Amino acid sequence: MSTRTRALTPALTAAAALLATLAVAAALLALGGYPPGDAFAALFRGAFGTWDRFVSFTLVRATPLLLTGLAVALAFKARVWNIGAEGQLHAGALAAVAVAVALPGAPGFLVIPATLLAAAAAGALWASAPAAMKTGMGVGEVITTLLMNFVALFMAQFLVQGPLRESRGVFNQTDEIPPAAHLPDLVPGTRLHLGFLIGILIAIALWLYLTRTPGGFRLRAVGASPQAAEVSGRFRAQPVVWLAFLASGAIAGLAGGVQVAGVTHRMYEGLSPGWGYTAIAVALLARLNPLAVVVTAIVFGALSAGGGAMQRDAGVPEVWVRGIEALVILAVLTVDRSWQALASRGSRG
Amino acid sequence: MRDALRLRGVTRRFGPVTALDQVDFALAPGEIHGLLGENGAGKTTLARVAAGILQPDAGQVVIGGEPLGARGVGGARALGVAMVHQHFSLVPRFTGLENVALFDSAAWTRRGTGSPGYRERVEARAEELGLEVQLDVQVGGLGVVERQRVEILKALMGETRVLLLDEPTAVLAPQEVEGLFAVLRQVARAGAGIVLVAHKLDEVLAVADRVTVLRRGRWVLTGEAAGVSARELAEAIVGAGVDGGGGGVGGGDAGGPGTVGGGGEDAPKVGAAGAEQAPEPRPGDDVEVARLRAVTVSTGGPIPLRGVSMEVRRGEILGIAGVGGNGQRTLAAVLAGMLPPDSGEVQLPEEVGWIPLDRTEEGLVNEFTISENVALAVHGSDDYRRGPWLDWAGVAETAAALVRDMDVRADSSATQAGVLSGGNQQKVVTGREFLRSGELLVAESPTRGLDVKATVAVRARIAALARSGKRPPGVVLISSDLDEILELSDRIAVMVRGRLIPVPREDHNPTAIGELMLSARGDGDP
Repeated sequence: MSTRTRALTPALTAAAALLATLAVAAALLALGGYPPGDAFAALFRGAFGTWDRFVSFTLVRATPLLLTGLAVALAFKARVWNIGAEGQLHAGALAAVAVAVALPGAPGFLVIPATLLAAAAAGALWASAPAAMKTGMGVGEVITTLLMNFVALFMAQFLVQGPLRESRGVFNQTDEIPPAAHLPDLVPGTRLHLGFLIGILIAIALWLYLTRTPGGFRLRAVGASPQAAEVSGRFRAQPVVWLAFLASGAIAGLAGGVQVAGVTHRMYEGLSPGWGYTAIAVALLARLNPLAVVVTAIVFGALSAGGGAMQRDAGVPEVWVRGIEALVILAVLTVDRSWQALASRGSRG
Repeated sequence: MRDALRLRGVTRRFGPVTALDQVDFALAPGEIHGLLGENGAGKTTLARVAAGILQPDAGQVVIGGEPLGARGVGGARALGVAMVHQHFSLVPRFTGLENVALFDSAAWTRRGTGSPGYRERVEARAEELGLEVQLDVQVGGLGVVERQRVEILKALMGETRVLLLDEPTAVLAPQEVEGLFAVLRQVARAGAGIVLVAHKLDEVLAVADRVTVLRRGRWVLTGEAAGVSARELAEAIVGAGVDGGGGGVGGGDAGGPGTVGGGGEDAPKVGAAGAEQAPEPRPGDDVEVARLRAVTVSTGGPIPLRGVSMEVRRGEILGIAGVGGNGQRTLAAVLAGMLPPDSGEVQLPEEVGWIPLDRTEEGLVNEFTISENVALAVHGSDDYRRGPWLDWAGVAETAAALVRDMDVRADSSATQAGVLSGGNQQKVVTGREFLRSGELLVAESPTRGLDVKATVAVRARIAALARSGKRPPGVVLISSDLDEILELSDRIAVMVRGRLIPVPREDHNPTAIGELMLSARGDGDP
């Protein structure tokens, strides 16, 4: 039980969880009458088959998962159970569109930062309500952040049907943002946009913050034991909780802004297929490590990109992919627990 | 007459700790039997073994002549054993009646519906016992006295041969205690034997027919309550140092005459440090590092402080004895600078080391490494920063030095705190808090839950900190373990109900201090 084997476990756990998921998914596919080998092969081709599949599909779809996954990982690290990344993402997307549309003539170097900052601010604002309820009244954030998601979704629905509806008035969507507000391409000839790089940079920054700075250390201490933080660390846990909550909301809001500015260029109902929820799986599979979130976000991006191919080439309905995503969460939790049980048995014996 | 309850040679261990060591105990029908002892003496364990909640590792529990064997709680209940726990086991959202009915099979018909006339039977039983119980109010909305009555009624609904009460008076005001005792006398008259676990001497002597004293898991004495004095009992409870004070940790009288402390007084100190500390004169010994004047806290802390005054000087250990829950925690928080008092004057050094009571919840972050736990104290200091970064290399160096100096048995400073033994964890906390402040160190029951060897080691570390170097800190040692207080302290005070009573030097013996600890003397003052 040296510290060395303990340090290895997060990667091992994640790998074991993925393997377990594949095994269970294969069994279920077989039960459902689909040859698992064909399904997985189609899924893999769809995600990694060509350079363009990988960059324009897998990585593009990984981008919102990367940002929301980082948001969730940061919050969970501070023991803030922010289940509200989905709502914060919607708030961010709405704010981004509103700002970009309001600045039609502005040059890109102004409008893009303004758009993204507005998205982050809106996400933080959306998170501030549950944060205030948690720190001020002790209301559990699992419920409040979750419920705020529905408020955000309905608000988005209302806005794209009414006040922000496109001037043509045909679809329930906003006007397209001006071209200056579009995020530039990251890899020429593909659809991968600057948002992915922003995600990577935030992942590195968060990792540095958590492991190398006093503030990040405090956040980890509060997450590990709020009592010990207050008694032995001699600092108040509450400001740290606020910070984690708002920063998490801001990053999730940024995910919405990046998606609007980089991919859809407008806001409409159903912008997100539930990234804010998948983000929880992304963060947990990464064991809340920001750098690992980059990897797990790409894994889930691949699932999403490969799902369509699986339906097309192997005839497996795409909803199976949603099932696989859910299996990953179950597998992470199960593998984690059984590892802990094994480890404690080992250390006792 | 057949005993209502008999324990024969009962031993119960929790890991390395022996909570009960071959204890014999007999309870006659119709008697109230007071069970006395310090915190951790094994009183609650004895009650829980008798109630079938815990299985003894050795020995036998016999209830009304019938061995309980391995039948557990259900078996004990069937034989007529009822227990009222210190922490009530009531459902807050249920009414009193619903709580009583919950575990009473007589309340239900075979088909699972309410038994007709049950309410009347509950009311009749309550009246018989002289218990005024609110049956129709949600228990969560009741005061502690009313809740206790529900709990007692619940325990006594069935045929009761043995009633076990764990610290029932701890939550009651003095005038409420008399009401409880009236009920107990009533129950005893009806023929049940009652075991009353308590640590307040005067209360137990007021109601009990016989008393039994446990110390460190061992039986010490049993006698008629009328035949023993409070002084004898106090001595038995805290141990007058004749038996070596619990397995070689060092009896109260150990240690030679030291010359520690200010003013060069030549009065011999009780248990001054160990023999390895050569008495040496230190300059600046009598420099005061902390001072409290008439400090009162009535809010914020769990138990109020009432007019506490004290001062701590460099190089001395001020021992604060007392039964847990008399305001020690509040005092520690005030001394650590974490709790501003409502009134009174507080002078403290800029940083205060605090070894908190709960090592694993408050003293350490278990999943952090030793280095990271050290960083809890130093992460705010400029010495451990490089620009915006925390200087982990510097922290690791400091932690490695701490591991060495405090003799922590760990692979390295990168070892997780959670995998260390209790004693080594406490050494990490002690070393870290000393790092935090070389001025004042507050140690709250630093050896609680440690085995004998670790206890010796941690005490030696604390003594060494206070008595070595050019600028030793002042140490406030808060402990309910009288041996510990006597072994380490230069001066002693006793905490009773939020008041701090200084103990004159000639009274530095277990009997006098024990009596103070167990008295209610703190109440008389204006």
